[in-house]
Amino acid sequence: MARLEVDEICKGWDFPVIDELSFSVDEGEFFVIVGASGIGKTTLLRLISGLETPDAGRVIIGGADQTKLPPYKRRIAMTFESYALYPHLSVHENIASPLRARKVPAKERDRRVKEVARLLKIDHLLNRRPGEVSGGQKQRTALGRTLVADPEIFLLDEPISHLDAKIRHELRTQFHTLEDLRKVATVYVTHDYSEALSLGDRIGVMGAGGKLEQVGAPRDLFERPANLTVAEHLGQPTINVIGARLQSEDGTLFLRADSGELKFPVGKSNRALLERHGKEKITVGLRPQFIKPIEEAEDGAEPLTAEIDVFEPLGATGIMIANAGGVRLTALTNPEKHFEPGQTVTLAVDVDRFHFFDADSGVNLDRLN
Amino acid sequence: MNQTVRDSSPSQPAWFRNKRTARPLIVARWVPVALVGLPVAVLLAIVIYPTIWMFYHSLRDTNIQGLFMGSHEYIGFQNYATVIGSDRFQQSLIHLVQYLTFGACLQVLIGTVLALTLYEFVKSNALRTAILIILVLPMMLPPSIVGVLWRFLLTPSNGAVNQALLNIGLIKNHIEWFNAGVSLWSIIIADIWNWVALPLLIVYSGRVSLPPAVYEAARVDGAGQWKVMRRITLPMLKEVIAIAFILRFTDAFKFVDLVYIMTSGGPAQSSELPTYIAFQRGIREFAIGEAAAYAIVIFAISAVIITLFLKYMKRVMKAQGLA
Repeated sequence: MARLEVDEICKGWDFPVIDELSFSVDEGEFFVIVGASGIGKTTLLRLISGLETPDAGRVIIGGADQTKLPPYKRRIAMTFESYALYPHLSVHENIASPLRARKVPAKERDRRVKEVARLLKIDHLLNRRPGEVSGGQKQRTALGRTLVADPEIFLLDEPISHLDAKIRHELRTQFHTLEDLRKVATVYVTHDYSEALSLGDRIGVMGAGGKLEQVGAPRDLFERPANLTVAEHLGQPTINVIGARLQSEDGTLFLRADSGELKFPVGKSNRALLERHGKEKITVGLRPQFIKPIEEAEDGAEPLTAEIDVFEPLGATGIMIANAGGVRLTALTNPEKHFEPGQTVTLAVDVDRFHFFDADSGVNLDRLN
Repeated sequence: MNQTVRDSSPSQPAWFRNKRTARPLIVARWVPVALVGLPVAVLLAIVIYPTIWMFYHSLRDTNIQGLFMGSHEYIGFQNYATVIGSDRFQQSLIHLVQYLTFGACLQVLIGTVLALTLYEFVKSNALRTAILIILVLPMMLPPSIVGVLWRFLLTPSNGAVNQALLNIGLIKNHIEWFNAGVSLWSIIIADIWNWVALPLLIVYSGRVSLPPAVYEAARVDGAGQWKVMRRITLPMLKEVIAIAFILRFTDAFKFVDLVYIMTSGGPAQSSELPTYIAFQRGIREFAIGEAAAYAIVIFAISAVIITLFLKYMKRVMKAQGLA
């Protein structure tokens, strides 16, 4: 059992991919790295596993610098995005392969393979080959291969991204319940923010430029994003981003959107923050769940009139895209209500839930002061 | 016409009957017929008809004169009896087995070893390409050139091969490369040199297309290089290697050129293969009926062997969920 530390690691080919990236994962912690496709998440895992050698920086496992060690000496187990199962071997032999490489006796091998297979509910498939099982079962086989190795560090590369939504959810719950995964340090890479929020004890958001934009607990990241990239990456539908200017009228502060007549008063709680920042131009972020259509004006919420462009009824919720004074706003709606495109609605905006970002750097004003 | 077809099936719902469906791509009637018909006609003319023709004559006492005069008689399976009962054919079968084992099989073996060595140990792309080109060069020479070339190289008195072996000290006397008992080996050596690049190319391209992630999984597992080769690479290349075998085996059954050029089956029929005898009996000695019987027998043997290979391949592919 060991703690993983990644210390200012760098890797690049024709251009830098990972740039002085550092983080650490405690024993028993589930650390999720989330980021857009092609941003270097897999490269990071490969550096930790030893499949790639870093250009600079260190990988420390259990207090020992293992940067120069080959993968199999590191006590790590890794699942691959493509599962990387051996097509000519049965599910049983696939799961057994790390034990076979370590020369575990056949009897012991068989016992542990069956134990893991039962845990993952694939014990009835042990004699089949990877070509004869479904995508979700392939994934479980790949996971079984890592579980059976009994490693100190788990590296999971997009383990469930290529499965269909239902199985994805089923396997996500499985990650919650697998004791073995919860005992050691796990690094889980995904591009899906909901997987990250669901699974991570802590989450690292990876941005372009090969750095972690923000590391923190899921709630923290969601409620206090360090910058616009993090805010935009976490959350579905994506956060509303409005370029605005700060204006003062009769002693009250207003935000006027750049592209239209839309105008919001600044909530009391945010006033001091904006005044400290002192710049006129500002980027405003507002999560869709804090905009809701209302029948008539309510207390504490700022009403505005909008025309509906698109409405997606999704069963458990509805997504409305509406045009309010030249600004397109996305709102989450109550599932019981139904709307038609072209309809005019009154939207209530919770002005105290605004996130404010610096218009140039995209950094959350919270962090600047 | 479409309309009538639709009306005739009452099971379709009313809305569909009046619906304008996508009109079929306008292609003249004769186009599909021609596209399928032409290849079929060619096949009939150059494969099916000659095979039937040959089978017909293998049951008759046809010789060249009889063929042109149209005077040949049905003699049952007498030609087959002659062929199978003759020492010459039985000897040539032993030669064939010898050629298949040490020619075709060895080529696939050497080709596989070369291909995997090239892939595992030569990491520079430019160097790999250069080596591949050099290894493939012999395959581009016509058999006539290869035959003449190796006759020169293996000339007993002052051929390059003997000279080289003498100089190194591996042998004390000239090897008589074209004596009975040795001449078949000379042909096999020339053939290996000529064709080893074919299995090499097939296996090399097969190795290149294996998924790299599987090898990374093996590295994480901690499997050594030799173990990876034995337990992952070779099993995954099974069907590719089987294809190389099939290609070299089919070639083996029509292998006449080097035999004809290098030894003409000699001395004293000691390097004859069945196909060469068929050629000799039919084209040179005009025993059409007997040559036809030879051809049919060879056809039967090759069909059995190739069928076994295909069965094996199907099993391998089924096991991997590919078929």
